[in-house]
Amino acid sequence: MSSKESCRNELRTAIRQLTDRCLYSASKWAAEQLVGIEQDPAKFTPSNTRFQRGSSSIRRRFRTNEITSTPPTGVAYVSTPVMEEDEVIHGDFYLLAKSYFDCREYRRAAHVLRDQTGNKSVFLRCYALYLAGEKRKEEEMIELEGPLGKSDAVNRELVSLERELSSLCKNGMIDPFGLYLYGLVLKEKGNENLARKVLVESVNSYPWNWSAWSELQSLCTTVDILNGLNLSNHWMKEFFLASVYQELRMHNESLSKYENLQGTFTFSNYIQAQIAKARYSLREFEQVEVIFEDLLRNDPYRVEDMDTYSNVLYTKECFSALSYLAHRVIMTDKYRPESCCIIGNYYSLKGQHEKSVIYFRRALKLNKNYLSAWTLMGHEYVEMKNTPAAVDAYRRAVDINPRDYRAWYGLGQAYEMMGMPHYALHYFRKSVFFQPIDSRLWIAMAQCYESEQLHMLEEAIKCYKRAANCNDTEAIALHRLAKLHRELGYPEEAAFYYRKDLERMEAEEREGPNIVEALMFLATHYKAQKRFEEAEVYCTRLLDYTGPERETAKSLLRGMRMAQSSFPSMDVEHFHP
Amino acid sequence: MAGVLKAPGAFAITPHKVSVCVLVQIYASPSQISIPFPFSSVSQHNRLGLYLLALTKSCDDILEPKLEQLISQLREIGGLLDHWLTDHLTSRLSSLSSPDDLFNFFNDMRGVLGGPDSGVMEDDQVILDPNSNLGMFLRRCILAFNLLTFEGICHLLTNIGIYCKEAISSCSSYELRRLDDSGNDLESLSEYENMDLNLVFKKINEEMEARKRATERVSFHLHLPKELSTLVEDIEVFADPKSEHNDKGRESSSYSSSGDLLRDVDLNGGVFLRTNWQIQGYLMEQADAIEKDGSSFTLNAFELTLRQLQKLAPELHRVHFLRYLNSLYHDDYFSALENLHRYFDYSAGTEGFDFVPPAGCNSFGRYEIALLCLGMMHFHFGHPKQALEVLTEAVRVSQQHSNDTCLAYTLAAICNLLSEIGFSTTSGILGSPFSPMTSVGTSLSVQQQLFVLLKGSLKRAESLKLKQLVAANHLAMAKFNLTHVQRPLLSFGPKTSMKLRTCPVTVCKELRLGYHLISEFCCEGSTMTTDGAFSTAWLKNLQKPVGSLVLSQDNSSRDNSNPFLFCTQPSSIPGSVLQLVGSSYLHRATAWEIYGSAPLARVNALVYATCVADASSSSDAALVHVKLIQHLAVFKGYEEAFSALKIAEEKFLSVSKSRILILKLQLLHERALHRGHLKLAQQVCDELGVLASSVTAVDMELKIEASLRHARTLLAAKQFSQAAAVAHSLFCMCYKFNLQVESATVLLLLAEIHLKSGNAVVGLPHALASLSYCQSFNLDLLRASATLTLAELWLSLGSNHTKTALTLIHGAFPMILGHGGLELCARAYIAEAKCYLSDPSFSVSDNPEVVLDPLRQASDELHVLEYHELAAEGFYLMAIVFDKLGQLEKREEAAASFKNHIMALENPQDGEDPLSNA
Repeated sequence: MSSKESCRNELRTAIRQLTDRCLYSASKWAAEQLVGIEQDPAKFTPSNTRFQRGSSSIRRRFRTNEITSTPPTGVAYVSTPVMEEDEVIHGDFYLLAKSYFDCREYRRAAHVLRDQTGNKSVFLRCYALYLAGEKRKEEEMIELEGPLGKSDAVNRELVSLERELSSLCKNGMIDPFGLYLYGLVLKEKGNENLARKVLVESVNSYPWNWSAWSELQSLCTTVDILNGLNLSNHWMKEFFLASVYQELRMHNESLSKYENLQGTFTFSNYIQAQIAKARYSLREFEQVEVIFEDLLRNDPYRVEDMDTYSNVLYTKECFSALSYLAHRVIMTDKYRPESCCIIGNYYSLKGQHEKSVIYFRRALKLNKNYLSAWTLMGHEYVEMKNTPAAVDAYRRAVDINPRDYRAWYGLGQAYEMMGMPHYALHYFRKSVFFQPIDSRLWIAMAQCYESEQLHMLEEAIKCYKRAANCNDTEAIALHRLAKLHRELGYPEEAAFYYRKDLERMEAEEREGPNIVEALMFLATHYKAQKRFEEAEVYCTRLLDYTGPERETAKSLLRGMRMAQSSFPSMDVEHFHP
Repeated sequence: MAGVLKAPGAFAITPHKVSVCVLVQIYASPSQISIPFPFSSVSQHNRLGLYLLALTKSCDDILEPKLEQLISQLREIGGLLDHWLTDHLTSRLSSLSSPDDLFNFFNDMRGVLGGPDSGVMEDDQVILDPNSNLGMFLRRCILAFNLLTFEGICHLLTNIGIYCKEAISSCSSYELRRLDDSGNDLESLSEYENMDLNLVFKKINEEMEARKRATERVSFHLHLPKELSTLVEDIEVFADPKSEHNDKGRESSSYSSSGDLLRDVDLNGGVFLRTNWQIQGYLMEQADAIEKDGSSFTLNAFELTLRQLQKLAPELHRVHFLRYLNSLYHDDYFSALENLHRYFDYSAGTEGFDFVPPAGCNSFGRYEIALLCLGMMHFHFGHPKQALEVLTEAVRVSQQHSNDTCLAYTLAAICNLLSEIGFSTTSGILGSPFSPMTSVGTSLSVQQQLFVLLKGSLKRAESLKLKQLVAANHLAMAKFNLTHVQRPLLSFGPKTSMKLRTCPVTVCKELRLGYHLISEFCCEGSTMTTDGAFSTAWLKNLQKPVGSLVLSQDNSSRDNSNPFLFCTQPSSIPGSVLQLVGSSYLHRATAWEIYGSAPLARVNALVYATCVADASSSSDAALVHVKLIQHLAVFKGYEEAFSALKIAEEKFLSVSKSRILILKLQLLHERALHRGHLKLAQQVCDELGVLASSVTAVDMELKIEASLRHARTLLAAKQFSQAAAVAHSLFCMCYKFNLQVESATVLLLLAEIHLKSGNAVVGLPHALASLSYCQSFNLDLLRASATLTLAELWLSLGSNHTKTALTLIHGAFPMILGHGGLELCARAYIAEAKCYLSDPSFSVSDNPEVVLDPLRQASDELHVLEYHELAAEGFYLMAIVFDKLGQLEKREEAAASFKNHIMALENPQDGEDPLSNA
């Protein structure tokens, strides 16, 4: 079992190596995890630990199962990353290239390394070329924008890079970093299978490069692909799996992985944020809010994942908290898609939908494939009653990720708004296909069936049943089921659902006209069934309410007494002379 | 400035245009001598000029030629000069190595143009008039260059580099290409080369004007699928086999040969994106071609092209519509559904140049068109219930958005749906939304609703002046009148005396009304121009840049279709109108078929096949072939029919869900029945049944056909009770779906079954019922055949009914002999002979020819049909007659023939022809 200490040592070495190769985000990630490992209290002064981490009392409050052991990773097959420190002679060139690279002068960096043959130099040269190509591509995309949209500018370095890397790979003269780059290039060129293979090879021989893992993750679009990967055991694999599960909407699996990992990396901000995101998908907003608050206390300048936080604040309608968050991220980094998204959310909450759209647009300008911004913008357009624009925005979201059930749902809603329920059904069907456990989707679809144009009540009932089965928090389904059954003339079923609805409302201590309606129906129903005792119970309960129902209940009761008395009363008279 | 560049008609400068500029510079180098330096003669000079004109005309093309292609064309033009020309061109291009070179290049270009006042030309000086075609082209290029940003210039430079590099790398392949398409540019050009230039200009301008006029007048409505009346444009894209070949070759070489898309993009950095209009035009052409003959496209190759296009122009949503069409015609339901939704999500039905912003300017999109398309899609895939639901919604939404045009089309679509697919009841579907239309009441039968809808739709189309829709509606009306008796819609109130018959005159009138379209289509006000279609018209003319017009007129020996096409295309009838006219001929043919006039049916089918087959969709063309072949089979026997079928099969090889296949099975079945191969007959019949969709009420025609044939087979196998059961259930189905014409046939079959099983008394009412159906629907031929059956029934009741039978037969004879097929005639002859023979008052010896003559006729006809059973009967009768006459030799002969036929019937030979191995 890899102890905390060994994890720490591995990460320390890895960070140095990653930084040396200018893989900054990977080394950032690794460093975050390194600090996230719980320190041995014996070695550090209390002040040191306090500095490291704030109170974890909140976390404990929500921790469902206390993790005692480190992740069950099995025997790690690679221990500490050992990389030969090669190229002593050419080290000077390397240093120059690296400093050029650090100043983002990629081509210059590549040029300095043009004759170097060591693995490290080759990698840095190729990586620099790749980045130079990417940069040029972004520029060209704007330059070549035609009347029909963006032209597909391509990274012009890809071809030569692929040629070089594949020959290196064939000759076995490639290190894991080279493999990572090769995988990246292959993925860009659309050769996904080979890319996957190469990336797996890379992470198997050097697991600490999180960038490689995340590339691999973006290539795992289905569970089958994931299961087909031949990954060696390592604790990094746990991180990977957790993240893939999350993408594949296996939130519970993902959550348990992360909670396991938290045993070792107790203070990792990354894990905390991921847990928050998973819980957000499970709609556990209260806990998510607490986690994010905690996270922001420790890492006040964080922008990553804060859009999820803002979504939570949005749903909970916390105006001031949301504005505070927006202010904070703006001060930190204005031109991040997340920042724009948060501001968009804020304006949306304030009901200023035009402004909100402006910020979502900005977010999309910064990242065209920013999924949630498209969906949120669709919502805004729906609010503004600009359905064609909303449809367009949702459709783009769906084309970026066809599994985005929210956008499918939005499309359905937009068409329903336009009075095209039959057309909308197609979209609702899609959305429930991708998220069958969300009762709101089923209810929306049922309402669509129920609409006066379609009036397909049988189908509506089926949908409501599904909704009732998946934890319908707003309790719409049961009530509608009861009502529909009543309208269709199935009093038994109607009574069944009214009773369930009633039980539920009692359990949740809700009040409202629905209770009266349910009581009323049940009372009359049981009376008609001649089950007077039950009927009487409901009638008596009705007496607690004001309004015409009360009078009706009274008369019902009276009627029942009469009916009851008519038979037994004779008996009574008979026995009492 | 960005706004200017993004205008839809933007003229982008590309490497190809740069090389044209280089050539123009060579052509009009500002020298003082009349023949500039490299040219040795005036004709050579003029020839280059003509070529350049053609190039500038085609520069609005979708795909620009690569340098290699340009060079190969130059070689053919340049003659002796070719080396000099190509060398100069390539060296000039490759000398452009820095942005500044480009600046200088275009500055030089300005020098080629004359000043604005250079109208006065000195005789011996070549100066390009700025207002000439070439001059305009140069000016546009210069302007476009001046509008470029510096980055844009850099991109142009890179692209020129790629353009040259490709040519060099592919130079070696040129020699091969040259061998097989040393085109006719040369000969066509030679016509012109000694002409006065001005004359040529004039001619070309005239031609262009004519085209413009022709194309401007047509209105499109692309969203509407073909089933209504394919209202798409007039340009005959791939009718020219040569250009088709070339286009396809070009596309497939640049797209499908390389599976890897990214590599592809690298390769054709030379494929430059054209303007919006051009691409839209290209897409329209493709849409038209797919709708006309979907199977000529291969699913994946075209999909690849579209994907490529989508990559290049992600905001061009029409591509999704093409993908929808492509998958629709390749029966890929899921992909079609997906792409249809995607297209309308992106475009809101308001994309493309057929979009006219509504006057009310509602910005809500036109999603009703999406519904209409979705409905048509469900119809195509045979989901009538969904189709009706969606179309109902379409009606409601179009009413809501007051889109009358869409409403008219939707109503027409619903009519089509109702008439094509059997609905036994429409309760709950056609209820509330139609209340303005069918306020008469919901108690109407489906047919009555259909009638009301048709009327309403026709009125709407007329008031909206949608000429083609009006014509299509007239056709639908004719079809309705053909098969339905009109009843009063109101069940109360004063009743006019109605004879319950169909009215052929009305049918004829409706069909004729459709013709007004031809005379009126040009008056139809078009709200938009069709630049896209116009510019892509050059696509196919690239191969023969100029002069084809003259050539085709002079040279009548050339392929027939080419000059026709070329002459008529600019000015004559748009393809969609032709299609409508064609379908009116089809309707006529069908009408005559039903009314029982074989010659008229055949004539109409022939007119269709000869006149409008080019413009028609492949399924319609197949239908006509089917009709003609069926005619052959009935009148000329199977031999001829099968040989014709072979030709048709080759022609419509790829048509999916082919009528040809059905026809083949029908013919095989009939022949098997006649020959007595009952096993084979049953097998073929089963195959036929499998072709129909399993959904209720879909493919009714085919289902009826299959079970009719099933009953026939059982009858031939003498399993009478089963045959009767099948026929009975078939009759129930026909009754349920109100298929009265078919009911008549089924009743007749039932009568025949009872006749064969010896229950003449039971058969009689069936035959009479069939007769009355025939009368009220004017089914004359079927009526004759029913009369014949009736006569046979009487005959089998005993010899004292022979007089009745004979009178009946004689009454039916004119119709039978005039219009009936071989089998019917033979049956009539034999029945007549039988009547005479069973008549006790008739003596053979007195008048043998009265009996022998019809028998001989019958046996001849049956021989052609190989109808053994009936032929045996004929020879048997003949033998009896000869026996009575005492002509023993002839009797033996007849008896031998009888024996042969019986033997053949009992041991069906296995010598099957290859046609039946399906």
